[in-house]
Amino acid sequence: MSGVSQRVRSLTLPYAFLVVMAVLSAFPLVWIIISSVKPASELASDPLSFFPSEVTFAHYGKVLFELGALRNLGNSVIIALATTVLTIAASTTGAYGIVRFFPRVGQKLTQLLISTYMFPPILLAVPYSVIMVSVGLANTYVGLVLVYLSFSIPYAIWMLTAFYQTVPLEIEEAAQVDGAGKFRIFLTVASPIVLPGIVATAIYTFINSFNEFLYALLFINSSDKMPISVALYSLSGSEVLDWGAMMAACVVIVVPSVVFFLLIQRHIAAGLSEGSVK
Amino acid sequence: MTESQRSAGTRPQVSIRARKDRVSKYLFIAPAIVVVLALLVYPVGSSVFLAFTDKHLLRQTFEFVGFDNFAFVLSSPDFWSAFSTSIGWTIGSIIGQLVIGFLAALALERIPRMTGLFRVLLIIPWAFPPIVIGFAWKWILNDVYGFFPNLLTTLGLSDENISLLGTSHTAFWVVLVINIWFGTPLFMVNILAALKTVPRDQQEAARMDGAGSVKRFRFITIPHVKKVVGLLLVLRTIWVFNNFELVFLLTGGGPAGSTTTLPIYAYRTGWGLYQLGLASTITVLLLAFLLLVGTFAFKLINRWESEDAR
Repeated sequence: MSGVSQRVRSLTLPYAFLVVMAVLSAFPLVWIIISSVKPASELASDPLSFFPSEVTFAHYGKVLFELGALRNLGNSVIIALATTVLTIAASTTGAYGIVRFFPRVGQKLTQLLISTYMFPPILLAVPYSVIMVSVGLANTYVGLVLVYLSFSIPYAIWMLTAFYQTVPLEIEEAAQVDGAGKFRIFLTVASPIVLPGIVATAIYTFINSFNEFLYALLFINSSDKMPISVALYSLSGSEVLDWGAMMAACVVIVVPSVVFFLLIQRHIAAGLSEGSVK
Repeated sequence: MTESQRSAGTRPQVSIRARKDRVSKYLFIAPAIVVVLALLVYPVGSSVFLAFTDKHLLRQTFEFVGFDNFAFVLSSPDFWSAFSTSIGWTIGSIIGQLVIGFLAALALERIPRMTGLFRVLLIIPWAFPPIVIGFAWKWILNDVYGFFPNLLTTLGLSDENISLLGTSHTAFWVVLVINIWFGTPLFMVNILAALKTVPRDQQEAARMDGAGSVKRFRFITIPHVKKVVGLLLVLRTIWVFNNFELVFLLTGGGPAGSTTTLPIYAYRTGWGLYQLGLASTITVLLLAFLLLVGTFAFKLINRWESEDAR
């Protein structure tokens, strides 16, 4: 009997702590979703009402169609997709190359890559500004995509080397005996084995470039090319804030991000805690 | 990916064809190397170069000014105020994230049921993009329509709705708490992974020998998670120190400069005052400071590793 009650007591504290943490963690997400479907009058009159008295999608309609956020959302997707495709192309080959052909210097090479993590984004912003203006890439998708490659490729290579290292050499040698070339082995033998890792890396790259703010703020200034993050920011400065519309926009941005993140979080954690330990 | 898989892979695996074809293996790593050189090494070099010039955002020509920028920045009270804000913001954020993240990981490790559910709920903040963190919290804290100020007045904890982000003596603390909210899941997930490597039998043996939970934590758990925690601390310290978006979107550096960190100060100098040369100087000093702290921290982690190896 006393054993049971002691066990219950020893579990009360962890559970209580976790419940409090869960409420604090999830509340902002829940609250912006609730706020995005409340009628404007209720947003302004009753800040503490938890459940909306009536559900409306007017805020979504306003932000997407009247305020043109659909266009900005499209810009974000184009920029993030282009970044992801180029990143995966350069870092699957790069990671595979490091693992297979440069195993001795490979570790130093990936460490060197990941040390670029130390460069403050604001440090790179100055030379990027100068370069963009001088080569005419300011205010273009291409310019922004190039800048995004600078932070996405090192991280993607770091994640991917860990995956390619798990591919058994014997399988590749068998393909080699059959007469397949290096690139063919990479494409049809090694990469399919690590496909889940490639997908996780691609999703992570996509989310990161979709969410990026500083460089987008600095390098895109025409509203028809703005990604959604900067469009929202510029909207907030203009006039009296329409909080309902802002919350609807936030939900549109954050919900896919949260879903994808939960799907791949184990892979990201693995990349972060292992890569440079050795 | 487990530790063992990774270390198995790092064993040099020299294939026969690696020698046969010398050119094509370089083609594999060429795109990545070109990107890193062109988009990282060259810009960092050019930042250092610009730090010694009077480059203006809207002017083509510029002149060398020697160490004038450095002398100006290092004697400016605004720089030192931003520097100390940065230090406070970084240390406060990291300690908060570490302590709460560690406690959450220990709690998750302890409970027998609903681990998956709590894990998912606790990870949510990590998935928030900066722009949404900014607007979601500004909405919750809004002094007219916000949930939190209204809750405080309803509960009788404050006389009127307070503007927590708009008052200079509270803004810094609020931004700090929001950053702790955002960064804690990352610590939690990584520490949880490290806790799984703590051998059960050692714990049991220590329990048999009569070691209390504090002692077991100190002598068994800590040594096993030390390395991961150390690495996390270094990487996250760098990240928090460099972070621009969170503070910029929550307060813009205000009110009255109370949340102006170094990246914000550099941004204001470069894109507010168009002084790119001066902004470069600030960012180069930022990098130099990080390199100093980072090198020291990595040395410490390496020492822990060699102690482990013995």
